[in-house]
Amino acid sequence: MTLNLFHLVLQIAVILVAARLVGFLFQKINQPQVMGEMVAGILLGPSLLGWLAPGVSAALFHPASLSYLNALSQVGLVVFMFVVGLALNPSELHGYGHAAVLTSHVSIVAPFCLGGLTALYLYPRLSDDGVTFTGFALFMGAAMSITAFPVLARILSERGLVRSRMGTLAIACAAVDDVTGWCILAYIVVLVRVTHATRPAWVTIGGSILYVLIMLFVVRRILPAFEREFRKRDRLTDNLIAVIVVLVLASALATEWLGIHLLFGAFLMGAIMPKAPEFTRYLLHKFESVTVVLLLPLFFAYTGLRTRIGVGGGRAIWLYSAIVIVVAITGKLGGSMFAARLAGMPWREAASLGILMNTRGLMELVILNIGLDIGVISQAMFSIMVLMALVTTFMTTPLLEWVYPARLFRAQVDDIQKNVA
Amino acid sequence: MVGVPVLGLLGILEAGRSIRAPLSVSGDWDLHSDPTADCANPPGSLQRQLVWSVSQSGTQAFITLHDGYATTLKATIDGATFTAKSSSGAIAASVVATIVGPLDQRTMKGKVTLLGCAPVAFHAVRRELGSRSE
Repeated sequence: MTLNLFHLVLQIAVILVAARLVGFLFQKINQPQVMGEMVAGILLGPSLLGWLAPGVSAALFHPASLSYLNALSQVGLVVFMFVVGLALNPSELHGYGHAAVLTSHVSIVAPFCLGGLTALYLYPRLSDDGVTFTGFALFMGAAMSITAFPVLARILSERGLVRSRMGTLAIACAAVDDVTGWCILAYIVVLVRVTHATRPAWVTIGGSILYVLIMLFVVRRILPAFEREFRKRDRLTDNLIAVIVVLVLASALATEWLGIHLLFGAFLMGAIMPKAPEFTRYLLHKFESVTVVLLLPLFFAYTGLRTRIGVGGGRAIWLYSAIVIVVAITGKLGGSMFAARLAGMPWREAASLGILMNTRGLMELVILNIGLDIGVISQAMFSIMVLMALVTTFMTTPLLEWVYPARLFRAQVDDIQKNVA
Repeated sequence: MVGVPVLGLLGILEAGRSIRAPLSVSGDWDLHSDPTADCANPPGSLQRQLVWSVSQSGTQAFITLHDGYATTLKATIDGATFTAKSSSGAIAASVVATIVGPLDQRTMKGKVTLLGCAPVAFHAVRRELGSRSE
């Protein structure tokens, strides 16, 4: 299909206006902006616009015209995954000992096992014999286990909880969850793609191991040169920024060629970057603006166009949705909360940690899109899981305010400061 | 402590091996039917629609015809039986077929009925399975 530039620019403009508008409205009800942007994407898809005004929807977002929108959103995701990896700092886990290790492990294992258990019920109803039960169950487990590290960080920042014990513990656990979740997902992608791939399995598996070793023991040793250059000038030249972009793209291409996925390479490149706070902040500032304002809303819109909430599935779909949402909350919120309580946290803090860990946000959408692309989940399963991601993200802020009100937290901080004085 | 969930997961995966999911029909299908049959000419253009795109979620599926009318047929899969009825678009049609063959060589044999016409036999072959997307 030839590129219709007018149509593409019109699509982008409509998406950006909708994203900013709904994002603004969601901020008014104390929700993070990104939650509104995710909902804006769904509203532009068949779940609302396509249902209310099918003619407008077909003219604006005709399936044949979406390939360029998808390409742009994928480029945005590559940069975004680099940013997510960049913001991860494994050293944050140090110093939290038993509580962090126990909570992070249980917050992965509990939803993973419950996701697998749910797969026993959903596989014969929402999948087909083109997908193995193992692939379906492992994907369900991984999708249930994920925590939206970026959304979590934003919620903590907005509530002034970043430096609290609970906030730092939540960030540390989310970091472990993300790394583990992506490793499991990489395995699932290889497992599913090897079945259909023309490339021998040993090339994918051996190549992936070699790639990780090169990244950890060769590339990682070269990267501090960027940090040294930054310290000398207090900034990086445009040429050096371009070199970083090329490295991200090369890493993404390597994982795509190996049959894993573009996004794993981008994520790993971010994860192995030097973690000096000023250097990380500088790079985040450089990369985040265009990605967050322009490219991520395109991804949300593309996701929304693939989501058909309640369309064509009858009552059964709502039952399956309710089951998935309950299981997701029980596994993630319940698992994290009880693990934190077992590790000695007071009930209120343990419950707050569970609520924070239950935030799935856009990381869930990224994983679900990969699942739909490789065919491990069906269209209906995708829509159900998107709904679950929206519900679990939406409930975080009001539930946190209910369990751990901001006034209570502020009063505790004041008491601590008075005691110190 | 690590062993218990791992064993539990292995148990789930083992239990799941015996579960049978509906036969996969998603993807693009090349359709072959008798061009001399009644109603083979417009407006009964269903038989001339040589490619069907099927989007499947478990036992439910949608057939989309790229006929300019966005004709969609809602389908159900019950064992090896595939039935569909038009749910939108210009063509009122129904399909009853049997799904045959292994996953990588799947075919369908059955009859298409257009409103006011006699049923027409068809044979459909699924194109090569790759990574599915929309």
